[in-house]
Amino acid sequence: MNLRAIGCNVESATVELREKLAFDSVKTQKALAELNARYAAEAVILGTCNRVELYVARQETVAPLHAPLIAEFLSEVHGLPAQEIAPHLYEHADAAAARHLFRVASGLDSVVLGESQIAGQVKEAFEFAQKANATGPLLNTLFPAALRVSKRVRSETGIAQGHVSVSSAAVDFVRQVFDTFTDKTILVIGAGKMGRLTLNHLAELKPAAVLVTNRNSARAEQSARKCNGRVIAWEQLDDALVQADIVLSTTGAPEPIVSRRRFEDKVRRRRAGRTLLIFDMAVPRDFDPEIHDGDTVNLFNVDDLTRVADQRMAERRRHIPAAEAIIEAEVAKFVADWNRRANGPVIGQLTAEVDKLREAILGPLLVKLNGKLTDPEKAFIEQAFRLFQNRLLHGPIAALQEASHEGHGSLRDALRKLFGLK
Amino acid sequence: MSVSPFQGVTHACFALSYLCALLLEIARVLWPARGWRVASLLFGAGGIVAHTAYLLYNQPPPAAPYGSLLLLAWVLALFYIYGTVHHAKQAWAVFVLPVVLGLVGLSLVWVMTAPETTSWSATEWTAAHRIWGAIHGVMLLLGAVGVSVSFLASVMYLMQARRLRKKVLPDSVVPILSLERLETMNRRALNVAFPLLTAGLFLGSLLLPEAYRLEGHWLSLKILSTAGLWLVFLLLVYLRYAVHVPPRRLAWLSILAFGLLLLALLASHPFAVGGTA
Repeated sequence: MNLRAIGCNVESATVELREKLAFDSVKTQKALAELNARYAAEAVILGTCNRVELYVARQETVAPLHAPLIAEFLSEVHGLPAQEIAPHLYEHADAAAARHLFRVASGLDSVVLGESQIAGQVKEAFEFAQKANATGPLLNTLFPAALRVSKRVRSETGIAQGHVSVSSAAVDFVRQVFDTFTDKTILVIGAGKMGRLTLNHLAELKPAAVLVTNRNSARAEQSARKCNGRVIAWEQLDDALVQADIVLSTTGAPEPIVSRRRFEDKVRRRRAGRTLLIFDMAVPRDFDPEIHDGDTVNLFNVDDLTRVADQRMAERRRHIPAAEAIIEAEVAKFVADWNRRANGPVIGQLTAEVDKLREAILGPLLVKLNGKLTDPEKAFIEQAFRLFQNRLLHGPIAALQEASHEGHGSLRDALRKLFGLK
Repeated sequence: MSVSPFQGVTHACFALSYLCALLLEIARVLWPARGWRVASLLFGAGGIVAHTAYLLYNQPPPAAPYGSLLLLAWVLALFYIYGTVHHAKQAWAVFVLPVVLGLVGLSLVWVMTAPETTSWSATEWTAAHRIWGAIHGVMLLLGAVGVSVSFLASVMYLMQARRLRKKVLPDSVVPILSLERLETMNRRALNVAFPLLTAGLFLGSLLLPEAYRLEGHWLSLKILSTAGLWLVFLLLVYLRYAVHVPPRRLAWLSILAFGLLLLALLASHPFAVGGTA
């Protein structure tokens, strides 16, 4: 195997450098063609906001592409000095490169552990390279294997379970309370950034209506346009609270806008026991925490959601050893399979070479003995030579298969040299 | 003389099958892995087959506590299989199977401690009384199923509501249906159980003096607990539809109703002993 994974990520390079090294589709196309033409290398370029990585594979008989050479190449493509790039590049070789890709695709190397977006990005990068005819036998085997491993890790471990961002943790609570959303109304109070992010997640549940209210009516209009919502006058907040099933509050008010007394007097009684879920994302808080009764009114603030998101992340971390074990087993399997595949041509060549050698010795011998041997005697001699050849080759071939099972291909190189194979 | 293949089926067969299914479900919740669910379902289904065979072979009278407890357990076991298949991600069996096991256990305790003189059949009934008696029994049994479903939904509701009140990480422990779903389940069980209980009790109140002229039985524990159960359900209907009481309080009342149901089931039935009284 002659495989290298060379690149940089959030840990090895700053965002400025990653921005400079980013590949758009035109640059990717050009770079893939260049890698193929110049180095006869199979290549896939994986570029996300957190990483820029090149996966390159070459014939086993030629030298691998190392990080300094790739730094030179990247400097040419992006017009940057190679010295600026080289110190930030990491290089993984052969099995380690496969392991790195499997970890990346499974979200183990992501900033948000277990995030699922990366698997799609790996798939896109591979398909792009395939369309550009930049992939070959090794990468065509490696990338589908990586996507399969990613799926296995996600389904067999809890590495991707639950929502780990504060804004999406709200969805988990909503699902604990409500079953159907098409008859639910979401009320958005204020126009804070956290509220917008949370609303994006809640909007995926396809609620019946989104109401938006704000002290500033222009900002309310603007927010309502973004989420296909309906503007409610600030003065009608109590009515909107009676109507809503889920409330998202993110105002910049210096003190609570809904006190317990106001809620009890003007909202609770009119709701007729209907369940209300309030996400108070504002700091300072918009709702008096005393409103939470854990029955018909459930109130969660930023701290509650942050705690849940942190717990989720801790829960995901607990699954890292199980995920790593799956990856390790899959890397061993991939390397063994690949080496077994790579052994085929070597064994074929070796057998053909020794066949030629046998015939070169046996032919003249039989000519010399012509007339002195009966046909059964000739057949016996031919059989004896074949047997000798088989016994001679059995040891090296068995050792080669054994070595590929253990995951290294050095014996294959040794055989090539010993028997003068190409 | 031919021997029925069901003759060897005992309480232990289905009770142990249900217990194994429950333990496997608990294991699934604690250590999620593929095989648990299938194994649990196989044990559960095996339990139902044995339970059905037992009921068919022994035909315990539904009017007697022993029979009514076993029949109710059987219907709830079917409810367990339905729920486990339908709500695959929820820990449905963890809630339903303990109730099934409890009912089977109570029936066993009852049959072991019941006086030997108890007669299971009302031999002096006329054919018409038998038909109306059967209708009365079926209505009360279905009503009891409704009460049990309402009880299960209420227990799950209270557990889910407690998590929300404490703001516990969702799904960090036993996965349960949403509050809305449980509330709907509770409401439907109430809607089904109340008319059935009402009609069943009305029919029973007509049959009792007609068939036996046993005025003294009006004050038996069976009649009083059943009447209490009906009153609790009447209160539930009123609180739910007229006053809009918070669901948590309704859940507690549903649990009380289930307690009264157990009391009513365990108390000796006037119809069952009436023939020989």
